Amino acid sequence: MRSLAYRTALLGAALLAGAGLTLTACGSGSGSGSSNSTTVTIWSSVDPPVKAGLEKKLVSELKAMGSKINIQWSTVTNINQLIITKIQAGGTPDIAYIPQPGVVAQMESLGAIKPLNSAVDMSSLEQNMVPGMLQAGTINGKLYGLLGSANVKGLVWYNKPAWTKAGWQIPTSIPALESLMSKMKAKGSATAPWCMGINSTGSQGWPATDWFETLTMKDYGATAYNEWVTHKIKFVSPQIEHVGAQFAQLLFPNGNAYGGRSAIASTGFDVAGNGLFTTPTPKCWMYMQGSFITGFFPTSVQSSLDKSVGVFGFPPATAGGQNPVEGGGDMLTMLNDSANVQTVVKLLSQPQIGDDAAPTSSFISPFKNFDMSLYPNDTTRTVANIMYKGDTFLFDGSDAMPAQVGAGSFWTQMTAWVANQESLNAALTNIDQSWPTSGS
Amino acid sequence: MLAKALTALLTVVAGIGAALLLYWVLNWISERLPDNWEHRIKPYLFILPAFLGITVYILYPAILTVINSFKDNFSRNWVGLTNYRTLFDSTYFRGTLFNTLLWILIVPAACVIMGLTVAVLADRLSPRGEKAAKTVIFLPMAVSLVGAATVWRFIYDSEPKGSTQIGLLNALLSIFHKGPVAWLDTSTYHLNSLLLMVILLWIQVGFSMVLLSAAVKGVPVDTLEAARIDGASERQIFALVVIPQIRGTIITVFITVTITVMKIFDIVYVTTGGNFNTDVLGNQFWTQISTFFNYGAASAIVVIFMIAVIPIMWYQVRHFRSEEAA
Repeated sequence: MRSLAYRTALLGAALLAGAGLTLTACGSGSGSGSSNSTTVTIWSSVDPPVKAGLEKKLVSELKAMGSKINIQWSTVTNINQLIITKIQAGGTPDIAYIPQPGVVAQMESLGAIKPLNSAVDMSSLEQNMVPGMLQAGTINGKLYGLLGSANVKGLVWYNKPAWTKAGWQIPTSIPALESLMSKMKAKGSATAPWCMGINSTGSQGWPATDWFETLTMKDYGATAYNEWVTHKIKFVSPQIEHVGAQFAQLLFPNGNAYGGRSAIASTGFDVAGNGLFTTPTPKCWMYMQGSFITGFFPTSVQSSLDKSVGVFGFPPATAGGQNPVEGGGDMLTMLNDSANVQTVVKLLSQPQIGDDAAPTSSFISPFKNFDMSLYPNDTTRTVANIMYKGDTFLFDGSDAMPAQVGAGSFWTQMTAWVANQESLNAALTNIDQSWPTSGS
Repeated sequence: MLAKALTALLTVVAGIGAALLLYWVLNWISERLPDNWEHRIKPYLFILPAFLGITVYILYPAILTVINSFKDNFSRNWVGLTNYRTLFDSTYFRGTLFNTLLWILIVPAACVIMGLTVAVLADRLSPRGEKAAKTVIFLPMAVSLVGAATVWRFIYDSEPKGSTQIGLLNALLSIFHKGPVAWLDTSTYHLNSLLLMVILLWIQVGFSMVLLSAAVKGVPVDTLEAARIDGASERQIFALVVIPQIRGTIITVFITVTITVMKIFDIVYVTTGGNFNTDVLGNQFWTQISTFFNYGAASAIVVIFMIAVIPIMWYQVRHFRSEEAA
């Protein structure tokens, strides 16, 4: 009897010890907040080379100041989900770079972030940033998210040698773009005007939303765009219906996009642009995608980027008319406002913070007065200039909409429409219906 | 590294020590009691830590999930049945439910039928042939769902018309100058959902085959011989002699596969992400919690899940009991 009891006890002990181990394993993972006040923790999901460049400059500036602040900068995957979970569970960093204004707004509604106004030099930011950048991170008149590194969207990429040989001119308005497209089609059916692909594992459909956003801002300007992003203008509205029709007219007719409408849904955004560079004849003349797409181009193209690739911003509705630029980027948010954290935020909000990152990575500075000579090639300079010269910088709308729409129904309904599974009207109606009623 | 190893070692020693101490104390307490009480109380005292573990790690989260399903996206305010109403009002979610139902109706049944067919047919091969056939069919079991889905994505791949088709199916079609068909985008008659089910079948049939094959081999030969002597045909023997004797295994396989299917997520996430009318509950739950940050709706989906699982659990427990009684 006794020996049985002892054996049971031993087994129980082993089980409990197992449970104890699990507990300690959980315990050691959550202690990622700053352990003492001289350490400032930063989380970001930016490309590792960008992070390395920014961190290098930050540390050397701190050293130059004679500061004792110790920087702990971690690259985390999928920061949007992680930060919301951590806000509820504990163990947040001092500073986080968030790629979506919608998430910044949620962090603010959870009371997790502090306004940046007192930590940064607002007047110099207002002077040196493109209008619209600060607004993207402003909630109730206070700045909560500051764009730290930017990317530009609505860029039309083309094969430079082939384009020059064909003698195409960069269009200055949407009608000019349309007439260029008909010239391209008249030249022969081997090369379609556009390449297009909206497939992307886990986030099918987002490239189509970028097209919608670009067309909306070019057609109706910044004010209407922002009203649409905040749902004051519905998806079922004359404006957005017109944008849908325009999208369809540019891409759906036979021969306009390589492979036709059905190929758009099944082609990956990452490989769609490779059609520009096929030999002997390119499959398409133009591909619209963000500044990051160069990293997906064939290696032979990447190694001679300036010679192989040309780029222009999607043209305004009328030549010389209003010309907002769509973009995105990572926004600096402050979760603690101790003096040390404020010092770091101040350094991170100055143009020269990008000096080490720009030459060695895909970093594009959001500051107009950034030293352009630091960019590694002319292509990056052209892209940066498109952003600096734009009259407004408008943050990717789907990233600013509530996630149910911006990362949900907008993506899925565009996919369903492009795949010809439902009408434009049904897609727009479904998106409107999915808009959360209680502010989230 | 050394510090970490030491910490781990210390944790193990301290953990086992503490647990031993706990059981020693529990034992000591029970031995203080009068003899007849000692025997009555002791089992409960010894089961207490395990019971507490289940309560903390399973019961408490389950109850919290039910509570959160009646709260808003960040579980702050009560919203009543809003989460459920929003879900059932949306055509998208009703489509998701229907797709999940299709998976449940088709995959377990297909898995059992195919597994049984292979088991019975392989039984008639030479020992070497049987081993080879079974190994090939069992092999995909070793592939993770994500890995399998990635591989099958290449089989279903569709390139724009005019390009070289790198997908197996479209490459075959292109030999006959047909296609390309965007397999995973085509939801007519739920074709794409059916194609995704094929992936799970590819993995699961091996499991069903192994268990059923063992059961078929376990059928006493004398019952088969008796049936043969009585003049039963091979079909009759299979349907009336073999099947009733392996019924228990069939039900076990069926229930195990059903539970796997209810939780299906990886295959859909990797291939279509739920687009083109292929979404299922598992993927929708993930989307709600990780993309939409809607803990309320995600909890509601889990509750729907739990309710849907109850009849299966009930049946399984009943079946288990009747097996034990037999």
